[in-house]
Amino acid sequence: MDRMKILLVDDEHEFVTTLAERLELRNMNVSIAMDGEAALGLVENDPPQIVVLDVMMPGLSGLEVLEKIKAIDSKIQVILLTGHGATKDGIRGMQLGAFDYLIKPIDIDELIEKLNEAAKSMA
Amino acid sequence: MNHLKRKEVAFFGKITAGITHEIKNVLAIIQESSGLMEDILDITENGTFPHKDKFIKSLNRIHGQIQRGIDITSRLNRFAHSPDHCPARLDLNEITEQMVLLASRFARLKNVVLESSPSDPPLIIKSDPVSLEMALFESIEILLNIIGSGGKITLAPRKIQNKCVLGIGYEKAVLTEEHFMAKISSTDRWASLQEIMAYLGGTAKVFGLAPEILLYLPESISD
Repeated sequence: MDRMKILLVDDEHEFVTTLAERLELRNMNVSIAMDGEAALGLVENDPPQIVVLDVMMPGLSGLEVLEKIKAIDSKIQVILLTGHGATKDGIRGMQLGAFDYLIKPIDIDELIEKLNEAAKSMA
Repeated sequence: MNHLKRKEVAFFGKITAGITHEIKNVLAIIQESSGLMEDILDITENGTFPHKDKFIKSLNRIHGQIQRGIDITSRLNRFAHSPDHCPARLDLNEITEQMVLLASRFARLKNVVLESSPSDPPLIIKSDPVSLEMALFESIEILLNIIGSGGKITLAPRKIQNKCVLGIGYEKAVLTEEHFMAKISSTDRWASLQEIMAYLGGTAKVFGLAPEILLYLPESISD
């Protein structure tokens, strides 16, 4: 079975690198980006199957990045990470085509479940 | 609440909400880092990691404290967002539950347990969330100052004679109704509670031998 190809986008370097290591230990192919511009560059040049995208980032917001990803390739699934009390961002994101949203800090098992569901929806 | 006061409250709320997000990011990093340690332990062969059981116990303690930190910051975040909309549609069950969580530490210092008793169906009113939270907190503080130590305070929204009421009651009789009123009526807290309730368009009364402060609230602050 092919390794799931994930792009993690979050401006918290320690968070995103550690989460990437945990997903790699679960046999996933993970790349990371620290902001929206870098994420869009990776989506253009080395498209992932699923993007895990923080909503609150400096520069382009997660929702803006989501719209641009969907414009590049609507098949790429996006899972948003929102803060507590920002569920309206998650709901808005789903209206814009996000697969789902999770509230930070996330539970790894819940994230993996969502990643599997998102991958299955693409099959 | 006057315009400047409202701006001050909004300012405190905005800064506090921003800081809770920062704290959550810190918690998220600790969570992922301890999770990674756990992942590595899981793939380590048995017998090759000295004191593995102690390490796992310590990681479990870290996880427990992360969850505690997440709960506390979530409550604080929600509270910080209280001034975002005013007046707002408020579920009295939610607001009492929120206040139980926020004020439990103050009660615990007097060995008092705080709990809520939700109404069924829920009561929804249109009011000022910050002032209503202040009224609830003042009521809890009044009771805590009177009752000494131990026991239970229950926050119970309900309808009395077709009016929305928030009851803040102590489980045991401590003073007669007259003595209770005499003891609290001259205090700054009672005056403050009266002032807040007047702003909310409601009234505060005391009822019963086991003292209960009843906050009568209009269904809409503009009523």
